[in-house]
Amino acid sequence: MGDVLVTQILIPQWQLIATTSWPVLITLAGFVIGLWVYRRSGNASPFHPLMIATPLIYLFLQWIELDFERYYAGSGLVNWLLGPATVALAVPLSQQLRQLPALFRPLSIALLAGGLFATLSALLMVKLFGLDDRILLSLAAKSVTSPIAIGLVQQIGGITSLLAVATMVTGLAGIIMAQTIFRITEVEDERWQGLILGVTAHAIGTAKAFETSTRCGAFATLGMGLNGIWTSLFLPVAVVYFIN
Amino acid sequence: MKKLLVGVLILVIFQWLGEFAAALLGINLPGQLLGMIFLLLVLSFNTSLLPWLESASSQLIRYIALLFVPVTTGAFFLAPAITGQFPKIVIILVVSTMLAQWFMGLIIKRVSNHSG
Repeated sequence: MGDVLVTQILIPQWQLIATTSWPVLITLAGFVIGLWVYRRSGNASPFHPLMIATPLIYLFLQWIELDFERYYAGSGLVNWLLGPATVALAVPLSQQLRQLPALFRPLSIALLAGGLFATLSALLMVKLFGLDDRILLSLAAKSVTSPIAIGLVQQIGGITSLLAVATMVTGLAGIIMAQTIFRITEVEDERWQGLILGVTAHAIGTAKAFETSTRCGAFATLGMGLNGIWTSLFLPVAVVYFIN
Repeated sequence: MKKLLVGVLILVIFQWLGEFAAALLGINLPGQLLGMIFLLLVLSFNTSLLPWLESASSQLIRYIALLFVPVTTGAFFLAPAITGQFPKIVIILVVSTMLAQWFMGLIIKRVSNHSG
């Protein structure tokens, strides 16, 4: 038992932290610039900090001729923090679950069906378009919030960088289309709008929901967190049926 | 500052618990997700850890996009075999997200009418 703790958990984590070196400054600088542009734009989604920071960093790496592997290893501390950040999602989730009881039944039905549909529809389309299994495994977790999704895709053997982009595209598409969908399906209640945003557009949708109201955001937080757990449970089983 | 550090330490301990349980029991879930579920269970029975966690968790979640910067930058270095499929991938993501939102809207209309 002690063996497992040391060799499978503590040593790999220490290695991740210990490789941290100066490239982590590139990550920080890129993010600070991205955040600054995003705030200046009045929080417009096309100027999401990731949309600004990542191309800038890419160009900078080309310019100083640093290869991606060395940059990624050098940002070890930032990558390591994804673990604690995933666990941290439990805090807002527990605060929201406390105020739930009355809506428990409709909420669970919408959440279970919606989460399943969001993932299976994408997997089915990957098959229809004839894309290969590496892409299928990488897109599988696209409606799940990134810290959970990255762990999940690592587990099933997808490409985390492709997943990261897919998650961003999904979130942005989700908030751009949501208002039209709410009008077509006549979902006017802010709580349900929040749930839909959280389940289909994870953290980006949740941030948008908080712009509508705190109540809307609270339901988005629930949708995002619970869908993360739900998808992690059915995904490893579901992908088996889609892989050749 | 003290609360922030204690908070991060609690989060890390729960992450380890999750990874430990996943490795030991051979559960097919990411360890940090299991850690999140453990913390969720603890918090739903006992809130005494909550004041210690609030600052660490809200700071981590607020700047969470920072943590995705290195992995997302990796997308620029993907093999041409994959980047060549980007148009199809974007269509899949947009259409499936739209369908899922529409589908959830229909379900919610049905189930919320029954319960008022």
